Amino acid sequence: MTLTANKGLSDNLKASILRLVFLIAVVVIFAVQNPAFVNGASIRSVIQGLVFVGIAAVFLTILITAGEFDISVGANAALSGTLAAQFVVGGEGIADDRSPWSGLIIGLLVGLIIGLINAFVVLVGNVPSFIATIAMLFIARSLATYIPGGKPIPGYRDSWEDEGIIFRESFFLSNFSIIVLIVMLVIGHIVLKRTNFGVVVASIGSNKEAARTSGTQVKRVKTILFALTGMGAGLAGAVSVLHFGSIYFSLGSGWELTAIAAIVLGGTSLFGGKGTIIGLLFGLALMQTIASGMVAVGIDPWWQTVITGGIVLATLVVEQLRRKVT
Amino acid sequence: MANESEYALEMLGISKSFGSTIALSDVDLQVRKGTIHGLIGQNGAGKSTLMKILSGLYPSGTYSGQIIVDGKPVELNSTLDAQAVGISIVPQETTVADTLTVAENILLPEMSKSPLKPYNKSGAIERVTKFLNSYNIPLQPDKLAASLTLAEKQILMIARAIYLEPQVLVLDEPTSSLTGDEIKNLFEVTRTLKSLGITTVFITHKMDEIIDLCDSVSILRDGKIVCQVEKSEFEVDVLVSHMIGRDLGDLYPQQQRVGIESPVALSVVDLVIENPRKPGEPLLKPFSFELRKGEILGIGGLVGAGRTEIAKSLFGHYKILDGEVYVDGESIKTKSVSESISHGFGYITEDRKAEGLFFNLAIKENFTASILKLITNLSFLVKKAEKVRARVYLENLQVKPQNLDAPISSLSGGNQQKVVLGKSLITEPRILMLDEPTKGVDIASKAEIYKTIAEYASQGFAVLLISSEFPELLAMSHRVIVFSGGEMVGEMPGGLENEKALMLMAIGANN
Repeated sequence: MTLTANKGLSDNLKASILRLVFLIAVVVIFAVQNPAFVNGASIRSVIQGLVFVGIAAVFLTILITAGEFDISVGANAALSGTLAAQFVVGGEGIADDRSPWSGLIIGLLVGLIIGLINAFVVLVGNVPSFIATIAMLFIARSLATYIPGGKPIPGYRDSWEDEGIIFRESFFLSNFSIIVLIVMLVIGHIVLKRTNFGVVVASIGSNKEAARTSGTQVKRVKTILFALTGMGAGLAGAVSVLHFGSIYFSLGSGWELTAIAAIVLGGTSLFGGKGTIIGLLFGLALMQTIASGMVAVGIDPWWQTVITGGIVLATLVVEQLRRKVT
Repeated sequence: MANESEYALEMLGISKSFGSTIALSDVDLQVRKGTIHGLIGQNGAGKSTLMKILSGLYPSGTYSGQIIVDGKPVELNSTLDAQAVGISIVPQETTVADTLTVAENILLPEMSKSPLKPYNKSGAIERVTKFLNSYNIPLQPDKLAASLTLAEKQILMIARAIYLEPQVLVLDEPTSSLTGDEIKNLFEVTRTLKSLGITTVFITHKMDEIIDLCDSVSILRDGKIVCQVEKSEFEVDVLVSHMIGRDLGDLYPQQQRVGIESPVALSVVDLVIENPRKPGEPLLKPFSFELRKGEILGIGGLVGAGRTEIAKSLFGHYKILDGEVYVDGESIKTKSVSESISHGFGYITEDRKAEGLFFNLAIKENFTASILKLITNLSFLVKKAEKVRARVYLENLQVKPQNLDAPISSLSGGNQQKVVLGKSLITEPRILMLDEPTKGVDIASKAEIYKTIAEYASQGFAVLLISSEFPELLAMSHRVIVFSGGEMVGEMPGGLENEKALMLMAIGANN
């Protein structure tokens, strides 16, 4: 028996190159309109713009690869961030000298709890994950608004000064979120492509029955993924508190669509079975470049939302067509 | 092996009932080591119940009897239990993870046992390549499973089962969706396994496969093992009569093969049909044929010769590029399925599930779903009319159970196929096109389907029959037209005696 050698580039590599070319083309288009778009500050702002949703989207990508969904990541981040900030600041009658780092733990913990509730409703209650996590979106979003009374939480920055750090001048703090994103992307990529677990996850999204008959405990794996997705969202919320030195209750609104668009644009199948973290990075870069580019060339803000929505729709349609072809 | 047992697998005294229905009664199945053991029986004979017990889907305690693997009694409560004692079952439906590679599919059981281990794609492919080569399995490990044909997926399922190094490999009707060459391939793999000492249980209802492949066979009928036959005593007539409890003689209805002089129902002149995979290009060279009222015309050829496409083009599903179609002497142009139906065409695909049975509705509603106009009065359903019409086909087709209110989902495959046929016949299409009407159907159901088709034709309706089973095609048809190598290569009279001639023509050996 002979094996045919790989002819030319693999399909994955071709798709990656295509995405890169597309991204560069988009950058060039905006740069021609407004040369300031490609200076250091602009690029920095593009990166900063995608960081938080990016942190939340890494494990969401893996969850989608397993054929499930979590719409509640943005609201989860808002609630986790709010509780993290509240914990650090303290309240009336509560000590207020906690280290701001403890906020990270709280963020992860709250995210984990939300993820586990999602897993319980979807896997034990047999509710489709789309619906279950929309309900969670409303619950978490409302709590995130109600707890601080619809206002930013005051006094957070002071807690840094107690640590001997002047918030505005800390290089580490201002780059912390980017470091977290990079670490998350690396972890996500290794989990998905370099461990047996990643293949098992893809097999679940591809054909649940095939996974089951191979001895995979599908519900256990999905529970782990919901929990990780929740923690990722919680981390995104807590990290954004660290970065901005504050939190506003509208944090993360719209993330669910941005994240899903970035994930699908990157080549992850919306129907499960196929996921890529490198693709996610492309997708995030593309979504944020377009968003920032529209600001740079002065497109009416109301139209910007329409265009973003249109991109999401077009992505989903293309994905559906691509699925039909194969 | 240290163990003395002569048998790789024994199922002794297995009985199981569902409520008052006895599914299996005192079944003994003994499979000698290193053999290929056939298990045949009609749909509903209890094969799948027996296999569900063996795979642990019905846990021990829900049935009586004993399972012994290599001399040791075992208790099976799940598929994993079965795998652990060395029983690998390849189910009839292919469950393959399409987005994974062949190698990943094969390694999946191993990987899900150690999820934390690092995964190395090229290492995995290397290991699987070695494994596949050692068993002579023709699969490429680096291919995506989505790009495999159905037959290759079937082989992949078997490869995955073998990778677990089972004592006993159970193949449940592995050939039901394969073509001739693919079946040969599968048999090759099975024989290689045998030469490597793996015991195989081969479940089928195709007699020639048993005779070709198996060393011995157990015949299951009505929940009992009727007998076990060794290879030296294999004889089709004997096996079949054990299986159906009657002679093969009346499988096909008596057909009068000469002298159909009735008017032409369908005439096709220089028809050019579109290749559905290459829009605008013809699939076959122009062809012409006539179909008379009361005649059954067979379309012969190998799978892929374009038979299905011909029927689907006439049915308005695919495009006709050129040529004329006459129905009762009138030239017609069909551009859609609904037009085609109004011209009197009816078409039954080989795909039961897609054919549109309403699985959650009862038999009667399925029968009458397409003739609602005839059984309603001022838009209200006349229950009695529904029953009267449905009962005719229930009885003619011998649908089991003989209960109009039974839901379709409770019927066996063969009986579902009868309902599909009845549902179409009840609309009385003047030109009925049947595409593999007995695919995956047991022999008893086949006999009733044949009888019904012949009766339908004898009422003066024209029938176009497509079948990959040449005996069936020849026995049922008055004439057979044959397609091969992209053109119509000839015509021959029906009759079982022409099987060899048909085969030669279909493979293009005549010219």
